[in-house]
Amino acid sequence: MLLWIGIILLIIVLFFAFVFFGYYNRIIRLENRIDNSWAQIDVQLRRRADLIPNLMETVKGYMKHEKEVLENVTKARSALMSAKSPQDNINADNMLTGALKSLFAVAENYPDLKANQNFLNLQDELSNTENKIAYSRQHFNDSVLAFNNIVETIPGKWFAGMMNKKTREMLQIPEAAREVPQVKF
Amino acid sequence: MEKKLLIEDHIRRNKLLTVIVCTLMALLFISVIFAIGYIFFPGNIFIALFFSIPIALVYVLITYSFSVQTVIAAAKARPANPMNRDEKLLINRVEEMSIAAGLPMPKVYVQDSDNINAFATGKKPEKSVICATTGAIRKLNQQELEGVISHEMSHIKNHDILIATVTIGVVGAIALIAEILFYSMFWGGAGRGRKGEGNAILMILAILFVILAPIFARLTYLAISRKREYLADSNGAYLTRNPEGLAMALEKIKQDHPQGKPKGSKTVAPLYISNPFKSMSVSSIWSTHPPLDERIRRLRSM
Repeated sequence: MLLWIGIILLIIVLFFAFVFFGYYNRIIRLENRIDNSWAQIDVQLRRRADLIPNLMETVKGYMKHEKEVLENVTKARSALMSAKSPQDNINADNMLTGALKSLFAVAENYPDLKANQNFLNLQDELSNTENKIAYSRQHFNDSVLAFNNIVETIPGKWFAGMMNKKTREMLQIPEAAREVPQVKF
Repeated sequence: MEKKLLIEDHIRRNKLLTVIVCTLMALLFISVIFAIGYIFFPGNIFIALFFSIPIALVYVLITYSFSVQTVIAAAKARPANPMNRDEKLLINRVEEMSIAAGLPMPKVYVQDSDNINAFATGKKPEKSVICATTGAIRKLNQQELEGVISHEMSHIKNHDILIATVTIGVVGAIALIAEILFYSMFWGGAGRGRKGEGNAILMILAILFVILAPIFARLTYLAISRKREYLADSNGAYLTRNPEGLAMALEKIKQDHPQGKPKGSKTVAPLYISNPFKSMSVSSIWSTHPPLDERIRRLRSM
């Protein structure tokens, strides 16, 4: 009789230990995933900023009369380089996206530039990093969603409380980024 | 009017269906073993386990050992060349989708073929390959190509290559066991130790079941394959947040009638985005892929 009670108690203890470790590890893993996906965004933002000087060098010779467009790109790039918080980073990046869009739109007027192999490569490369930034943000938000779901639902909520983990913020995409950039000729 | 499902609901429903079908497969395998036990070892049907399990294990191991290189060689694919602009764009799309899925970057291969097609292979996400045909690179625009790659990336993320490998192994094992049984009945006659009249019908049923089991196994495997295709479609749409890209690509595949025979081995057919060995419009319980029209309809309903 005593043996049976012992076995049942042991099973109960093991069950709770199992659930506890499971939730603990899952919360930690999901949190790490958020940090990792933020690092991924950062890598892509840097990569993009690094491509800009190359682009400027290529474009300079052709676009002598588009000072404003070129200046906007440079300005957005330095904003990106000096950004500290994640949200600053994203805002500067959106500014850069807009500035680049105008640059590529204006480039349509320069057939010589459009035929330049280097320019074509840079254009592909920049749209690639732009997509990567968008997808790494999306993955960041997906990771935050997965984390928040476990932190806010029962029983994950109790474990999160014990571990002192709170829900994380998703990245907001500012209004400005949704607008079509103005192209002036 | 069908209820409009969210992408997430599609994913959940397809996962559940896959679990159900895989359970069916496992049940089928176990019943085959017990039927054999009943026929050959009436006293102790568990003896059947002793020879069936090793056969199944060996079979699964053999299919498992087919490496990525085997598949690549069968498809006559070559690594994508980043110097070629079209192939560089393909590499870019794969990079983007691997970021969206949060997976390591797969190796990118190209297969020379006029068909619009693509496949993924590799049992682990860390060592996977995505291969697209030159036809796909040439005929699809970037949005459509992205859709196709998102579908392949989802196969990798869902471990579909592993699921396909193991189920093909089990199907093969069931077929082999049934064949062994068939020949041993031919040579020795079944149920030597059994004299009772009442069991004759049951015995015939058991033998019939074992003979028909390979067909059931194959059908179950095909059902799993089709479910995984739907799941990869909806997961792909979740990655791009743009179901229309993949829908348009499937539309182009439907209207595409290339010349020449498809290359590659039939065993890898389920890995492709659409079966390269069959006419696209016909679909039945014998197909590895669901009909294109139905896939397009589901994508557009997301």
